[in-house]
Amino acid sequence: MSDALPIGREGGRGRVRGKWPLGVAFCLPLIVGLLSLTIYPVVMSFYYSLTDYPIFDPPKWVGLGNYVELSRDPRFWLSLWNTGCYALFAVPLGMVIGLLLALLLNMKIRGMAFYRTLFFLPTIVPMVASAVIWNQILSPQHGLLNEMLRYVGMPEAWVPGWLSDENWSKPALVLMSLWGAGGGMVMYLAALQDVPQDLYDSASLDGANAWHRLLHITLPMISPILMFTFVMGLIGAMQYFSQAFIMTGGGPWDSTLFYSLNLFNTAFSEYRLGYASAMAWILFAIVLGLTWVVMKLSNRMVYYHS
Amino acid sequence: MHLKSWQTWVATLVLTALSVLFTLPFIWMLSTSLKVPETIQSAYMDLVPRAPVIDVDGREMRVRPMMEKNGEQEVQVYDEKGELGETLRVTPGQIRQRLWLHTANYSEGIRAFPFVAYLMNTLMICVLCVVGTVLSCSLVAYGLTWVTWRGREPLFWVMLSTMMLPAQVTMIPLFLTFKHLGWINTILPLVVPSFLGNAFFIFLLRQFYRSIPRDLVEAARIDGCSELRIWAQLMVPLSRPALAVVALFTFIGAWNDFLGPLIYLMDERKYTLSIGLAMYQNQYSAEWGQMMAMSLLMTVPIILLFFFTQKTFIQGVKLSGIKG
Repeated sequence: MSDALPIGREGGRGRVRGKWPLGVAFCLPLIVGLLSLTIYPVVMSFYYSLTDYPIFDPPKWVGLGNYVELSRDPRFWLSLWNTGCYALFAVPLGMVIGLLLALLLNMKIRGMAFYRTLFFLPTIVPMVASAVIWNQILSPQHGLLNEMLRYVGMPEAWVPGWLSDENWSKPALVLMSLWGAGGGMVMYLAALQDVPQDLYDSASLDGANAWHRLLHITLPMISPILMFTFVMGLIGAMQYFSQAFIMTGGGPWDSTLFYSLNLFNTAFSEYRLGYASAMAWILFAIVLGLTWVVMKLSNRMVYYHS
Repeated sequence: MHLKSWQTWVATLVLTALSVLFTLPFIWMLSTSLKVPETIQSAYMDLVPRAPVIDVDGREMRVRPMMEKNGEQEVQVYDEKGELGETLRVTPGQIRQRLWLHTANYSEGIRAFPFVAYLMNTLMICVLCVVGTVLSCSLVAYGLTWVTWRGREPLFWVMLSTMMLPAQVTMIPLFLTFKHLGWINTILPLVVPSFLGNAFFIFLLRQFYRSIPRDLVEAARIDGCSELRIWAQLMVPLSRPALAVVALFTFIGAWNDFLGPLIYLMDERKYTLSIGLAMYQNQYSAEWGQMMAMSLLMTVPIILLFFFTQKTFIQGVKLSGIKG
């Protein structure tokens, strides 16, 4: 231990071998962080999920009681359903729009950098600020969107109530999420620029039209990044929280009671920490399961070159 | 791809249409932030901020339309300070809609919000998070790349595997820990974790450190440099572009963070812009103009930052995708 820090001299070979105290010293922030911010909380969270823990009393062991109760809890199932609906539309639609933008920008059009900046900007707008903007755009009476619908002649009975109508609240949030499609666009654009030009040239010589080139060259070549954004999008959508918390609070009629919102309310409004921990573990299991399924599928569907 | 000219035209047309759609929320935010409350409630799709005015003794005065009876309209006149004054009866024809930039939304919003105090709180958290993250992540990345030791690979894999963990799993125990430490209602739970590394940024920096030529590090070691000096005088200067990505993303993450302040900050005076704006929206939901003005003030710094660091930014987004 005496020659531990901070010497790295090893004569001519210049290698630091077996200097574990030195490695530990450099990685100390990470080690402390993993232990205190991840591993300890994960273990405790699992323990809490097996207890009844109203914040002001000590946890009381209930075994799998919370999980059994969850399986019979209609609000749990409802929040899972709402989240699934949201993810099922928001993620693929966001990808399609991001890909469309990227394909258009990849056509070597004048002002490409300008358009790229423009489409990317919404993704860095603070979430709370965009919630304020969209609250006003989606406002049923004088919101921009409904005024536009009326302007193009939509009958008043058809004009949606968006966030105040339980059938339209989820589509409204999906629509709002599409404003951020530019994040995926930047990644797709980078991937598109890596597709070798000679692939397109030889395909054109063989008589492939634009549609065939897209389907048989472009999409397979960028499928790894498509798969990556799909998985990350799903994981993100499963944890969808802040927009719903700010804009709807879960309403109307619990139509935007998403999984993480339900979890947050259970923990920090009802102070049922054990029950909320069980919900967190089910979320973790769902995220792992989804990732596993997508990875399995991707072995068949994704083309990894090199 | 080689394109025919009509294809370029169609693509440009579609892009222009889409860019109008994507820009519209920004324009709407700007225009609403400059509208008087009466107009927000009634002006149909008008992007130009206007206000009703009448002529009084040859001067244009802004008015608030009130009751209408017997073909006459009652209006209340605003004085120079924007306070409601005397009530007048006019014919509807006398009221005109005129371009009116209602900057009072900004001045009143800044006072009521209170914007400056929240800005200071936010900046404090952002700066501490950036310092902590850059420092800890670059140190750890060095230890995981250039120091050969036995626990290195296992530690790296444990770190990577935690990236899949949803924040909801650790949220409750962390809240309880910080509560026991007496850190609730302080900024400590929001900044201290950033001094303890971040898996994604460490991964990103490690990729970058690996691309630095081995000979450089070896030469420094032969010259008798300590590892700490190699990190400080070789690795940090060489990895400045990657560190810029880490700093930028950390800053924006802290600026935009909502869940953290929501859980840990109770005292209104300690609020950040993000939580402050959300609470403000709940309290003053009718003050659309002021809320838009505050949203705009919260967004503009981030957009300016983006324009000044655009290259770093796009690079960072690409890097975050390449890891997949």
